[in-house]
Amino acid sequence: MSLLLSPTDFRMLEGLRLAPRRPFHGRIRGERLTRRRGVSIEFADYREYTEGDDLRHLDWNVLARLQHPVIKTYQDEEDLAVYLMVDVSASMQFGAPAKAALARDTAAALAYVGLCGQDAVIPVAIGGSRQPLVTYRGRSAYARVAAWLDRNLAATGPSNLAQSLREFARQNARPGFIALLSDGLDPAAANELRVLGGRGFEVNLIQILAPEEIDPDLEGDLRLLDAESGAQVELTANRDALRVYAENLRAHNEGLESACRRFGGRYHLVRSDTALSSLIRDHLRPGGWFQK
Amino acid sequence: MSLIAPAALLWLIPLAGIIIALYLLKMRRRDVRVPATFLWPAMTYEIRANALFQKLKFSWLMVLQLLALAAIVFALARPQMLQRGLGGAVTVVVIDTSASMSATDVKPSRFGEAIRQAEGLISRAQSTDRIAVIEAGSVPRVVAALSGEPSRLRLALGELRPTDAEGDVGEALRLAASLAANQPSARIVLLSDGVFPEVSNFSPGKAEVVFPRIGTSSENVAISAFAMADTPRGRELFYGVRNFGREAAGVRLQLFADGKLFDSKSVELKPQQTVGETVRAPAGAKLFEAKLEGGDALAADDYAVALSDPGASVRVLLVTTGNLFLERALTLEPRVVLDKSATVPTSGEWDVAVLDGITAERIPARTVLRFGALGRGLNLRKPTFADASSGQPLLRGVELSDVYVDVAESGVAPAGAQVVAEFQGGTPAIMTRPASGRREVIVGFRPLDSDFPLQVGFPIFLANALEWLVPPSSRGTKMVVSAGRTISLPAPSDAPVTLKGPARSLTLNPTNGSVLLRDLRTVGKYEIGKRTLHVILRSDLESAIAPQDRVVLGGTPIASTNAITRFADLWRWVALLGLFILAGEWWLFARRS
Repeated sequence: MSLLLSPTDFRMLEGLRLAPRRPFHGRIRGERLTRRRGVSIEFADYREYTEGDDLRHLDWNVLARLQHPVIKTYQDEEDLAVYLMVDVSASMQFGAPAKAALARDTAAALAYVGLCGQDAVIPVAIGGSRQPLVTYRGRSAYARVAAWLDRNLAATGPSNLAQSLREFARQNARPGFIALLSDGLDPAAANELRVLGGRGFEVNLIQILAPEEIDPDLEGDLRLLDAESGAQVELTANRDALRVYAENLRAHNEGLESACRRFGGRYHLVRSDTALSSLIRDHLRPGGWFQK
Repeated sequence: MSLIAPAALLWLIPLAGIIIALYLLKMRRRDVRVPATFLWPAMTYEIRANALFQKLKFSWLMVLQLLALAAIVFALARPQMLQRGLGGAVTVVVIDTSASMSATDVKPSRFGEAIRQAEGLISRAQSTDRIAVIEAGSVPRVVAALSGEPSRLRLALGELRPTDAEGDVGEALRLAASLAANQPSARIVLLSDGVFPEVSNFSPGKAEVVFPRIGTSSENVAISAFAMADTPRGRELFYGVRNFGREAAGVRLQLFADGKLFDSKSVELKPQQTVGETVRAPAGAKLFEAKLEGGDALAADDYAVALSDPGASVRVLLVTTGNLFLERALTLEPRVVLDKSATVPTSGEWDVAVLDGITAERIPARTVLRFGALGRGLNLRKPTFADASSGQPLLRGVELSDVYVDVAESGVAPAGAQVVAEFQGGTPAIMTRPASGRREVIVGFRPLDSDFPLQVGFPIFLANALEWLVPPSSRGTKMVVSAGRTISLPAPSDAPVTLKGPARSLTLNPTNGSVLLRDLRTVGKYEIGKRTLHVILRSDLESAIAPQDRVVLGGTPIASTNAITRFADLWRWVALLGLFILAGEWWLFARRS
């Protein structure tokens, strides 16, 4: 069984915790503070005493000094839902190395960080056949997450990024931290990201594009075949066509970034030949993905 | 615009069809699988074809190729367009310098406008054009032979001056036709106001004649007559003022005697009206001048001179249907002020009437010189002259034995006539008749029925006849001469003499005891030695300054044109445009592929 990451990668990821930009409600008590007032050692505020309050939280010092009863409140600590959405559409197989490889390794790394942080890690295959959501917790679950990634990301089914995101949004999954690893090459993707953001998810997109997608090396009279939809476009690849493609790609990427940032998420564009360590060091860490 | 070879346009159909058919061929494209096609624009530029067939799509390359083809085929059709400037490789410019061209109805004058137009022609000429300039003055001359050098032509134009004389446009045009003869593409440009008689005996050959009319106004008032006569009532001056315009005019006539104003009159004239009056001349005066003040377009005919010596100036009326020899010979006599007419006028007063084969009862002249037409019948064939007595003053210096006469009048001499010369057989040939009150010289044949006009003695005979008919009463030192006339004056020695004119002075060399004056072209006072010449313009032809819309040259009416135009070949420019479009098509092709 492959653990997907090297020992060096594991050492690099030790001690990191995912840092969502806003707190989320958890299902079970975890290690993350939430906005919900609860019982923990993290003091939050004072409030007026009311009947029925636990007298263990009455601030006796204040009562003795001011003759007025106040209750100390504490922030609750719950687990964080981390959705590792990995695009498995056909377009992810492009590039050398393929975009899917970097997406898989990045998903494994984020899963390891999440599991170590007692977060609920839920891997989701986007753009492929729909599968039930499975939640993994604890460091010991990493091997099973790696197996899931190894199994589900190898096979590609019917490809439609936007439709898969739409279906995920309809599943009434609890809001949480989404790490979307995709090339984002779907004209409706930005719209679906806004829908997810509107439902309370923090969508963080790592857009992985192959070098030949960023700077295509096409020439001559071509018929372009869409790897996912099978659509055809006749093209005379020349300077004008390449210029228009670059403008279209830039506008499309700006749409994706805007959709992510609109609801507090993060956006990173990386090349598929980027090393995992470089991605963590140069993009995710500076981008505030982790807390110490 | 017109096309020399319009049939070449038919090439457009098959060639454009081939280009369009090539665009109907479908291109075979290479299949490339890409992650997503929505980012790619559907930009297809089909510049190669290797499969059949497809729907025709819009293509800028195809449009440019069709445009280039259209331009090239259009160039092959040889388009031409009218352009200002010269047409033809050879252009002869005839510039009218007659008196009417001095009219100032166009600024600075009609002559100035003609020079300006000629300079425009020269400046617009192409490097291969050759231009000649001819002056149509009283004596036509070539001022610049055929040349392609603009500087030389402009220099020749700069030497031209307007004259106050009648011009000989017909002779100038004949000269131009001879220059343009045998030239493949020639054009004669007549820069004139059209104020000249109908030109006969003219054929431009292959050359085209263009007449850009110059002048706008016909308004002019002239002194049509000014003469002095001794009458029973005493010495009288007769003047006539004529309005040649189409509108009424008012002028002031001033009369001078020996330079002193002695009368001034306001004259109101209807269109085409002539007003004449006789006034008493101051006694003792020798020189009388008349000046018109009114500021009309032509100044030269607003001045006239009459001398108290009646023999100093001889007013001659030539009645002829056309006799150039007679006219030229008469004008060689310096005293003669010549008027021409085809019929005998009913009014007027002349010193001599010269009848060229014309019979008339009432002749408004004091003396008559008749050629034929005595009513005796032209039935004497090929007579030869008998020996004439050499003592006759009429035949002094005239040799008649060599004169060939084709047909002459037969019969006896009229009553009172004295035979001066006769043919073999006794038929009188030349007679004089000192009739009561009117002297007559009668010649029994018409000049054109003989070679007499070609003989050296012909002008001498005419001079003798005029001297006999109107003998000079004194050897005066003052003369009145018509402008443009060439006259001969006796010179006391062979030493050079100076002619001082109103504008400049000339030094002339006498030849054989006489000096020839050719430069009396402008109105005014000239002095040569002790003689004073008063040059005047009195010509109804030149005073009628109305510019003509058409002129008749050799029986062909030529309408005036507003501008001198030519057909310019455009095919070079159109072909250049086609090449330019092709270059643009190549650039677009390279850019897209």
